[in-house]
Amino acid sequence: MVIAMATVSEFKFSEFVKSVLWLLFWVILIFSLIVLPIIFVILFYIPEPVINGVRINPYLLLTMLTNPQIGAPLIKATIESTFFKIAVFPGFTFAALFATVLIYAERKVLAKMQLRVGPYHAGREAFWWANSLGGFLQLIADLLKLLGKEIIVPAGADKPIFWAAPVVLVVAAAGLIALIPVAPNWVIADIDVGLLAVFALLGFFPLTTLLASYASNSKYPFIGGLRALYQLISYEIPLILSVLGVVILAGTLNLTGIVNAQNPYWFIILLPIGAVIFFITALAELERIPFDLPEAESEIVAGWLTEYSGMAYGLIQLANYIKMYALSALFVTLFLGGWMGPQIASSIEFFDVTIISAEEANGVTWFAIKTFGIALLMIMMRGINPRIKIDILLRTAWSKLIAIAFINVFIAVALLYLGVVPIAGGA
Amino acid sequence: MGSVSGMLKAIASGSKHLAIRRFTLRYPEQKLKFVGDGYQFDPKEGVGIAGYRGRHILYQDKCTGCQLCSIACEGIAEAIAMVKVDKQYKQNKKGIMPQIDYGKCVFCGLCVDACPFYALFMTDDYELAAYTKEHLIYTPDQLAIKPKYIGTYEIKIDELGAYHDE
Amino acid sequence: MSIKHEDTNTSVPGFHMEGEDRGILTLSVGPQHPGSGHFRLIVKVDGDIIVEALPDPGYVHRGEEKMCEYRNYIQNIPHLERPMIADSCGILYPYVLAVEELINIQVPERAKYIRVIMAEINRCIFELYWLAIYGIFLGHSTMFMWPMADRELLIDLAEMASGARVTHAYFVPGGVRNDLPDNFVEKAVRHLKYFRSRLKEYKDIFYDNPLFQSRTIGVGVLRREDAINLGATGPVLRASGVEHDIRKVEPYDVYDELDFKVITMKEGDSYARAYVPWLEMFESVEIILQALEKMPNGPVRTKLGPNPKGGVAEVFKRVEAARGELAYYIVSDGNPKPYRVKLSVPSFRELPVMAHLLKGAKLADMPSIYWSMNYWPVEADR
Repeated sequence: MVIAMATVSEFKFSEFVKSVLWLLFWVILIFSLIVLPIIFVILFYIPEPVINGVRINPYLLLTMLTNPQIGAPLIKATIESTFFKIAVFPGFTFAALFATVLIYAERKVLAKMQLRVGPYHAGREAFWWANSLGGFLQLIADLLKLLGKEIIVPAGADKPIFWAAPVVLVVAAAGLIALIPVAPNWVIADIDVGLLAVFALLGFFPLTTLLASYASNSKYPFIGGLRALYQLISYEIPLILSVLGVVILAGTLNLTGIVNAQNPYWFIILLPIGAVIFFITALAELERIPFDLPEAESEIVAGWLTEYSGMAYGLIQLANYIKMYALSALFVTLFLGGWMGPQIASSIEFFDVTIISAEEANGVTWFAIKTFGIALLMIMMRGINPRIKIDILLRTAWSKLIAIAFINVFIAVALLYLGVVPIAGGA
Repeated sequence: MGSVSGMLKAIASGSKHLAIRRFTLRYPEQKLKFVGDGYQFDPKEGVGIAGYRGRHILYQDKCTGCQLCSIACEGIAEAIAMVKVDKQYKQNKKGIMPQIDYGKCVFCGLCVDACPFYALFMTDDYELAAYTKEHLIYTPDQLAIKPKYIGTYEIKIDELGAYHDE
Repeated sequence: MSIKHEDTNTSVPGFHMEGEDRGILTLSVGPQHPGSGHFRLIVKVDGDIIVEALPDPGYVHRGEEKMCEYRNYIQNIPHLERPMIADSCGILYPYVLAVEELINIQVPERAKYIRVIMAEINRCIFELYWLAIYGIFLGHSTMFMWPMADRELLIDLAEMASGARVTHAYFVPGGVRNDLPDNFVEKAVRHLKYFRSRLKEYKDIFYDNPLFQSRTIGVGVLRREDAINLGATGPVLRASGVEHDIRKVEPYDVYDELDFKVITMKEGDSYARAYVPWLEMFESVEIILQALEKMPNGPVRTKLGPNPKGGVAEVFKRVEAARGELAYYIVSDGNPKPYRVKLSVPSFRELPVMAHLLKGAKLADMPSIYWSMNYWPVEADR
């Protein structure tokens, strides 16, 4: 074995000049071949945006960026642009932040119910004034840990599906967020058949779970994947049926329209049974305790996600928590009146230009409060229940829940024809 | 339905526990208090005195080098070896004293029971972590130092639950 | 039970299909499994029904009984408490009783009361640990945390008395090693009263929870005749309706002066096997409170020489530990070291019962049946 000693080379000026020239060569090459054409394309082919009837050319843009008073309409236009809605609010970043807060709240609330402290040390210096808020940065620590781990692909696994499955799960969960209205004009995709699109997206999850478990090529994921398939498919039917009553009363499948139809009374007062069934089946769709079979730790090591490690596991957990946010938000939209509530928030103004109007801010606040409340209820259900068995799970879904959901539909029809609720808008 | 009432009772119990105090002891800011000074043994009476069985303490002015502690440990963990010490004591003709390897010791205290000269007791100190195995072997001079352990927290019970406090 | 591993030719790793019956899957709920402890259970599954279960103990066999022959009677004490460290006074109790009979030594009254108190505290410590793991096997994380927190109350008491939290090494032939400290009695009464109120909380969230009941009622029913024939012991036996408790049948130390009930239930399913230890903990608290009141003052240890030895004799003593009947059979030939120590543990005797109950059950019932058997792998393998 040769042990190589690192030699310190002497400084030669010619070598230095040669390296600088080499660097300069590459910079000029990339600049002229890639960056300049991009700038020319942007300047020549993309039309100048029009904000408030004023055409923005680059000089005006630079002025607006440096002088906030003139630039306030720019901020408003950015917030209302589609890209901002998809990426930041109410899109992916908002969902990811909400999921983060949910993970922290779950660990702390569960810990308090179990008479212990949850995450405690990470970030405690920042929150020295609130002893029970320690551990806020624990999620960042876990994220960094997962990013640093090796993703081990088992031998004989089906590689394209193995790698694609977590990504598809996150994409499908994020797709659910695009449909949910957060405030009167704040919905990314205002489709007329919004509710149907939600259920179409929910159909992705059983399929992807099964493919992920098959692609792992191992015994325990195989059993877990089959159990997940049974559970997710069986619980989609009561989920759809429980929402049928809401659609009958609201008269439209558009989610914004459903929220607007809850004007005097929220649907949870008129259809409590439907709300309870929706909650239970949403817990089953999320694979949370008590419907935790596909990840039952003590019987089948970790179910269908046994073979996923590192960031693939992190993506699956992210998809789970975004799905939890999405289904809680859906519950709030369908049964708890969406964004409606007494006016407690004021508008956000920036140099005399209203960026977010008062009712929008109010809507967002109430929506966040209600969604967080429903998510807390889901967390509490986790704290007090053991896991349910597979045969009781299937029996409950197919016989009891479908029957109760049908009773709910009859109640909705009866409410409509007895004139308690006015027949709402045509579509 | 019986199951609905059962589930509601479980939810009520879970919510009630959100108001009960947390039980955790936040070590290392909070350390447990022990009764007394450590486990000791009185060879005249033949009975021990209650205390925590932590690290040993060796009173060098009483140890005679009789090796009874080492012989007692031979069947248990073989953690005590007799080594020569530099300082000469009047009662210790052979000039040997016990050296304890805490990588092997199981803290059972039977060596304390075996000593007939009131020389080997145990103390409250349990924080013996080290980076290498050699650092875990405590020589007689290291064992003679009395450790400083400040522990003030114990379990207190009030109507909001049990918790650890000073 | 001989175990044949048939490695039939298969191209997919991880699947063992039997030769003739291609529907049977052999699962190894092995030592590296979150649901089994250090114990391999080979389970043959047909769909969801377990066709046959073959327990395969021996993963943590250390040769405890042979190692006892190289140590004298006092040096054996920290050695023999290790197979069942969570209930260390329970596994040491018959040993000290047997050695006392061998050496022919009397035990003072106060020492007997202290031994009973520590044995009952250890019984509660083990039962709480057992309940905690039962909760986590069924996915109930709250039921894992609450018993572990309440266990701390009792471990605090044990640490005050003996000096160590778990590895007590407190009993010696002739009594106990040291007297209780001064504030033990009032602290014990305070802790035990709070502990009793905490035990009552388990009913709402665990025993009355319809999801828990659906998983354990009617699962793994052990009939009375089968329990007696297969040799079940401890809470498993009492949950099937047989009223047999060594503390009443062959009372040792001062159990005949204390007043307590023997808990039995008729059903014999997993729910009964989970319910009986909970009720037994209430009885244990009763026993401890009575013993604390009745305890006389006096010495706690009869003085013993450094190398005690008995004559050429054989002794057999048994005790009701937390899991069942634990017995020692010691053969001595007059030397300070025993000639042979045979340790008969309840966990090993539950293995045929486990295999009998698992046959025909569903795979999802396996954790519930397996853990309700009170099986402790380290103790069974010794």
